[in-house]
Amino acid sequence: MEKEKWIDTVFNSTNGKTKIEPDDAIFSKIQLRIQNENRISKPWIWVAAASFLVLFSLNIKFVFSESDYKKSKAEQLASDLSKTNQLY
Amino acid sequence: MLNNSNVFEKIYTEYKVLVYNVALNYLQNTEDAEEIMQDVFVLVYQSLDKFNHKSSLKTWIYRITINKCLDFIKYKNSQKRWFIFGKKSNNDYEIQHLSNFEHPGIALENKENAKILFGVINQLPENQKTAFVLSKVDGMSNSDISEIMKISISAVESLVFRAKSSLKEKLSHQFEQYHKKK
Repeated sequence: MEKEKWIDTVFNSTNGKTKIEPDDAIFSKIQLRIQNENRISKPWIWVAAASFLVLFSLNIKFVFSESDYKKSKAEQLASDLSKTNQLY
Repeated sequence: MLNNSNVFEKIYTEYKVLVYNVALNYLQNTEDAEEIMQDVFVLVYQSLDKFNHKSSLKTWIYRITINKCLDFIKYKNSQKRWFIFGKKSNNDYEIQHLSNFEHPGIALENKENAKILFGVINQLPENQKTAFVLSKVDGMSNSDISEIMKISISAVESLVFRAKSSLKEKLSHQFEQYHKKK
């Protein structure tokens, strides 16, 4: 009985709670954040990201084409050797 | 832009108390609630043009606030996990003492009991906590909660019911422990 009463008291402890007004300084903080985030516009972020992606893909392409070139050179040498059958 | 700023200022004036109090009830920390308030209104400003009026502005702002609070809790919990491996942050005290929150809007005679209630609310699963805080602490109707949480009214009722049962169980356990100590 005592337990039930206590649980009910705890449950009802938030009844009649008053709303709290936030600090007035928060609005100026929000405005400052909005101004800072507006400084770099979204289209420019996308342009930067796209440029990075293009540069990255060019690098990848270059690395793979270089390895293909080396591979084909080695293959050419091997075929030359097998044609002539001369090892020295 | 200027027009947008004027609209935003009006929205801020109208909903600042709502956002702050929801965040305060949810996070139980005044500094965190202020931080969330900033995040919410920055997002509202940025997304104002994209707002599709499918729901009311109030519901939309409520939803943003709840989502921001949930993200914030997840972020804090992930920080807490990292504490095991690294240096503890300055917020460590706040994380460990969340249940020591004294709500500034609660009458002095109820403060001690409210502290216990907020402590057990934090142990509830995410959706039960959201439904219970909005229903019991913020005093919202089930239909409004269903719109905010994007679930049916019966689902809200079920969540609130389960939250209440779980809280009663936890409080009963606390009562017994307290009397054992005595």
